[in-house]
Amino acid sequence: MLQHLVIMLDDTAASYCHYESRKTQRRLISLDSLKSGILFAMKQNLMLQVVYPRYEIPDGHKAAIESIDHCKVAQGNGCVRGVAVIIFDGWRDAESRLAVAEAAESKEKIVVLRTGKADFFAGHASAMQLLSRAERLNVALTDVDTFGEKDFAAYREALAALGEAVKQLYAQGLRPQLNILTDRLQLEKANSCNAGYENVTLAPNGKFYVCPAFYLEDESDAVGDLSAGLDVKNRYLYGISHAPLCRTCDAYQCRRCVWLNRKTTGEVNTPSREQCVVAHLERNASRNLLRSLQSAGLYSAENAIDEVSYLDPFDALTGR
Amino acid sequence: MELIKDNVVPWQEGSAKSITFIVTKDCQLACKYCYLVGKNAGERMPFEVAQQAVDYILGNPQLFPEKSVVFDFIGGEPFLEVDLIDRVCDYIKVQLFEKSHRWFNSYRFNFSTNGVGYHEEAVQRYIEKNRSHLSIGITIDGTPAKHNLNRVYKSGKGSYDDVARNIPLWIKQFPQGGTKVTISSPDLPYVCESVLHLYALGIREVNINCVFEDVWRDGDDQLFEAQLVLLADEIIGKGYYRGYACSFFSEIIGKPLDPELQNQNWCGAGMMLAVDAAGVFYPCTRFAQYSLRSKKAVAIGSVREGVNRNRLRPFLTLDRSTQSPQECMVCEVAAGCAWCQGENYDAAETSTIYRRSTAICKMHKARVRANNYYWNKLYRKLELEGETNNFEKKEAHVIC
Repeated sequence: MLQHLVIMLDDTAASYCHYESRKTQRRLISLDSLKSGILFAMKQNLMLQVVYPRYEIPDGHKAAIESIDHCKVAQGNGCVRGVAVIIFDGWRDAESRLAVAEAAESKEKIVVLRTGKADFFAGHASAMQLLSRAERLNVALTDVDTFGEKDFAAYREALAALGEAVKQLYAQGLRPQLNILTDRLQLEKANSCNAGYENVTLAPNGKFYVCPAFYLEDESDAVGDLSAGLDVKNRYLYGISHAPLCRTCDAYQCRRCVWLNRKTTGEVNTPSREQCVVAHLERNASRNLLRSLQSAGLYSAENAIDEVSYLDPFDALTGR
Repeated sequence: MELIKDNVVPWQEGSAKSITFIVTKDCQLACKYCYLVGKNAGERMPFEVAQQAVDYILGNPQLFPEKSVVFDFIGGEPFLEVDLIDRVCDYIKVQLFEKSHRWFNSYRFNFSTNGVGYHEEAVQRYIEKNRSHLSIGITIDGTPAKHNLNRVYKSGKGSYDDVARNIPLWIKQFPQGGTKVTISSPDLPYVCESVLHLYALGIREVNINCVFEDVWRDGDDQLFEAQLVLLADEIIGKGYYRGYACSFFSEIIGKPLDPELQNQNWCGAGMMLAVDAAGVFYPCTRFAQYSLRSKKAVAIGSVREGVNRNRLRPFLTLDRSTQSPQECMVCEVAAGCAWCQGENYDAAETSTIYRRSTAICKMHKARVRANNYYWNKLYRKLELEGETNNFEKKEAHVIC
């Protein structure tokens, strides 16, 4: 069931996920489209998530947005006030701009750290600072599809080190949230992004897309518009029930990115080996963290994550 | 007693890798129902491409763990390139030997030909050279009227006479050879007489199917059912159920399928590997551009880059429930209802293989009704003749 509408205010709106936002030419959504999008969200009972560009938008747009309950997503450059989700590109960006973002902040904040593997492996020691200051830290790896065997090994090591950092914060009485490690501790079912199924995106051209990545990749890939309405063809393929590899998988923290799926395998419902292995390294690191926290009496002994013998559910499903 | 003849099980079915070389996209014929929309005389496979494909496949045995292999050569018409094929087959045999490959004595070369050039010297020389490892099927659609309705030369002239004259030679060389018949809407009035005609020509196995494309008109199902009932009467009346086979009639079709236990995919796309003249790999030849009406080709690698395993994942994890609409999952006669992954992809609203086309639905149901008639009539006949021991006897349930 559709629950969220993402509104991309401009072609240069910040990426908050795996995809790159490479457009440099400004193209602000028209005020009419913005208002129509908001009306659509109200009538469909959708929660609104507004993604901002790096510049200040006109007052008319601001007023329209403030007419409805919403969540602001923006880069941590301080030009948008009341941001709920702050985006940083890499550890260094996060370290240098967090204070600026905090100064402009009035709500509890979720930090999205977009990072490539090289940056992540080199900079994850900085995680303690971000984890202790953010309500929640979401790591979005921007090059999962390029991971090789060495990267998997390095990721496993990085996750182990992050697990130690999380444990230290737990010992201090904090309850840090790091999507790739702590989500799985509590989840009992898949926490997929569900783009195309539970959320869609209204782009600056006034058309709907599965998510911003689909728009940025190919503008002709729309799934409806404001006048004709939403029309997601073969919508069932975006739900987990029609994803053979995912529907029985217990790497529940995996966001199951349908854009990455399509990019790597050609099908929105099928993840690549790289996505699956990364998700299982996270799952297994969560299992190690859980056991470590439980040993130290820092976590309920009732929770458990089973041991599995594979890193790629494809191997288990096909017997390969 | 001689058993009812069932369809011949393909060589090493289930344990053989199928490798398809699209050696040419040219053909002497321009069959009206041909799904190859992009046939042309320009794309012929260079030997070097075939060689690279063989080197990659035989050089990476861990990627192809099957114990046997079937090398398919298709077109267009494959025998237009018999000299290339001969050279490729020689190369395969030498490489299998030199690499001490497990397929060395477990391989076959397979052909579906239009039969027009079957008698030609180069083709016959190739057949003699590779006889013990060959499977060849000639496609003949039935009576001259039925055959010439669709299987015509580019000039429009029917090809029946040129094919039929080669049937005796083919049957002599391949007594177990079967023919493949395709049924489209205009062919329906000829179904019964065509199968009987093929039997009369000496062809004992007739593999016949309705096209998967959305070509069916109102009333076609009734016409089809009537033809199959006629055919059932003829097969039973003339005793063709002994020693002959027609794939329309099968004991396993027309039953409900368990959504969990019988959830496997029907089509083998992705289990096989096709390579075209440019050296591009496909999960099946139906995903090459020349086979597709409205979608882009689905490549899964090339002879240079190898197989992209990620591109194969959707094919290898695809199952029945994920691609089928609810009406198919609860269908009470689902068993035996076939689909072609390539046609599903081509017909889908989005570029996905996870969308089953149901264009064939009413034709399958018509087939099931006629199939039920066939088996009920045959069982009763055999029962009356005291020959029921070889068959499962139906329990008589009384409902009053």
